[in-house]
Amino acid sequence: MADLPLGERTVAAGAATDARPPGGPRRRSRLGGAFFVLPGIVWLGAFFLVPLAAILIVSLGTNDATGHIDLSVLNLRNYVQAIRPEYVPAFANSLRYAALTTVLSILIGYPIAYWISRYGGRRKVLLLILVMLPFWTSYLIRTYAWMIILRDNGVLNSMLQAVGLTSEPIALLNTDFSVVLGMTYGFLPFAILPLYVSIDRLDENLVQAARDLYASGRSAFLHVTLPLTMPGIIAAALLTFIPAIGDYVTPDLLGGAQTTTIAKVVQVIFTSGRDWPYGSALGFLLMVVTLGGTLLALRSLRRETFAA
Amino acid sequence: MTHEHDGSSIDLERRLVQVMAENRLTRRQLLERMGALGIAAALAPIVAACAQAGLTSPSPSSSAAGSGPTSSATAVPSASAAASASPSAAASVAAASPPTPEKDLIVYNWDSYIGENTIAQFEDKYGIKVKYVRFTDAVTQMASLRKDGKGGGYDVSYPASTEIPGLVRDGVIQPLHREWIPNIANLGADWQNPSYDPNNQNSVPNYWWTTGFTWDPAKIPADLTSWDALWDPAYSGKIGMLDDVQECFAAASFKLGLPINSTDDAELDQALALLEQQKPLLRKYTDDDIGDMTSGQLWISHAWSGDWVQMTYDNPAIKYVIPSEGAIRGSDTMVITSGAQHPIAANLWIDFNLDARISAANSNWTGYLGPNAAAMETINPALLADPNLNPSAEMYAKLTELIQLEGANLDKYTQRWNALRA
Repeated sequence: MADLPLGERTVAAGAATDARPPGGPRRRSRLGGAFFVLPGIVWLGAFFLVPLAAILIVSLGTNDATGHIDLSVLNLRNYVQAIRPEYVPAFANSLRYAALTTVLSILIGYPIAYWISRYGGRRKVLLLILVMLPFWTSYLIRTYAWMIILRDNGVLNSMLQAVGLTSEPIALLNTDFSVVLGMTYGFLPFAILPLYVSIDRLDENLVQAARDLYASGRSAFLHVTLPLTMPGIIAAALLTFIPAIGDYVTPDLLGGAQTTTIAKVVQVIFTSGRDWPYGSALGFLLMVVTLGGTLLALRSLRRETFAA
Repeated sequence: MTHEHDGSSIDLERRLVQVMAENRLTRRQLLERMGALGIAAALAPIVAACAQAGLTSPSPSSSAAGSGPTSSATAVPSASAAASASPSAAASVAAASPPTPEKDLIVYNWDSYIGENTIAQFEDKYGIKVKYVRFTDAVTQMASLRKDGKGGGYDVSYPASTEIPGLVRDGVIQPLHREWIPNIANLGADWQNPSYDPNNQNSVPNYWWTTGFTWDPAKIPADLTSWDALWDPAYSGKIGMLDDVQECFAAASFKLGLPINSTDDAELDQALALLEQQKPLLRKYTDDDIGDMTSGQLWISHAWSGDWVQMTYDNPAIKYVIPSEGAIRGSDTMVITSGAQHPIAANLWIDFNLDARISAANSNWTGYLGPNAAAMETINPALLADPNLNPSAEMYAKLTELIQLEGANLDKYTQRWNALRA
């Protein structure tokens, strides 16, 4: 929407000074551009800005005794109440799971993306489709599959017992392990795709040049490939960390009594607590904290990358 | 018709729900089995190589002792209703004998929650076409009934008794025409004047159940009778509690001998301290007690008696007890929505389901007991003989109902629940 007035202003100014005939090529391309941007803006407005504004407004309201939202008097009380020491362990869990998931996704995803890009040959497209293949099945069903694999009488424990590695079932499901495993499994494709793009764009001649200058394979990777694919790593980290910190489904299904995340706290406030204004405030605050933290991290990363 | 989308546009889901009902599968079990099939396909070579692997395979559900289903009570979709009788005109005819009922009725209820032939018998008796729409969780039910503030286009539904005061206050349901419901006299004395709806002005009690705990005697051979079992370190890592704030605080309060539904901060803090003490022993706060008990993930779990009946379809050995300290008694109701298009038929439906033989048939089929005193003669003796489904008078006296918490009192629970869980 910001584009449209700008285009009109330029045209108006142009018409006044240049006396260019109206409807010239410049005007058409500017307005045409704005026209093509319109669907995107409508989409963002309807499905991002409007819901976000709704959450913000509700978070400023109050809840009457019967659970109805009262918006007649807006205030910040919910935000004052939102920060409670009791929630710190749950928030720490969310941070921990998201960080582990991000690191694991990149550590596992980078070699896969590298291999597809460098050695995929004619089968690159097929291999990328294979990366995305799990999306063809509902995430919920895939998570249930993990429950069947990981539970005490599950596939994995039965196999471990069959080959004599353990006599008693190992507690895998409802632990930190199962939560991080499930989240890494779920978010891995989101890490592989941006990594693949940046690795695939890397000019192989640069690596070749490093080798010609007697860099070892390891040294060429560390000094050429890795720095040049850093944008892909950062994109992969963002695409993994941001959704992971708010993930509710995976910790709820694969987690246990000791793995509560901040998303669960918000869910409890909304459902059994029936306090939408308070839940909205907590949710909004979490979003601001995540966004702020991400921007800060990005800025310091960029400074480091350019300083190097 | 506002309700049209509920029946016609989601044929696939309805079919799925029917299949689930026929096999007595819950939605969760269905997902699990689809997951199992996926793994079976992916891991077939590995599993084949490993003969010992105990893959959970989709097993045909055995039929229940006591209820013995042979086929499901399938929905009877009515043809799109023609213009119905004006409800205001109909309601104004308040005579002792009901006026001519409407031609259709839309009932909104749980899966497998009435007798096998109840719908067909009602249709035969009154010449009313019943459209039976199902839901699978109470949150969806409440959202549907409240979406337009007057019942979402349904005539009759089955909310939990704790919801009744809120539904009455918000005008979602309408008072019953008791003169058209003579069978209301069949209710037991305990149920004639419930606290949530004095004199059953707006609702009729339907089924009731208890919240105790279940355990697998193959893992825990002891004969358990006390809430203490859920705090026993011997079962550490194998204990589950229901993912339900009021039920958990009630369990702790029974163990401590504190009043149930307390809103006293000191008492709630005592219950919270006991739950904090229990948390390290827990495997999980479960919202799938059936799946977790039948899969062996939990050895002992806080559970609803109705869920226990369903667990026994998979593992008949699983036991359930109403703990000796006392337990929660839950119940649900039949109500008529304020926006009902077929109010006369709706009152007749409620009267029909209060009939002694129909009520007994409903209980025999579902395994849930109702408050219908006149039905006791026809109910399956096996159900009545089970002290955990039909407790003694002494035990019954120790049962307490939960109340609907609101406002500051609800916040007291929510804050403590989040402090416990986080």
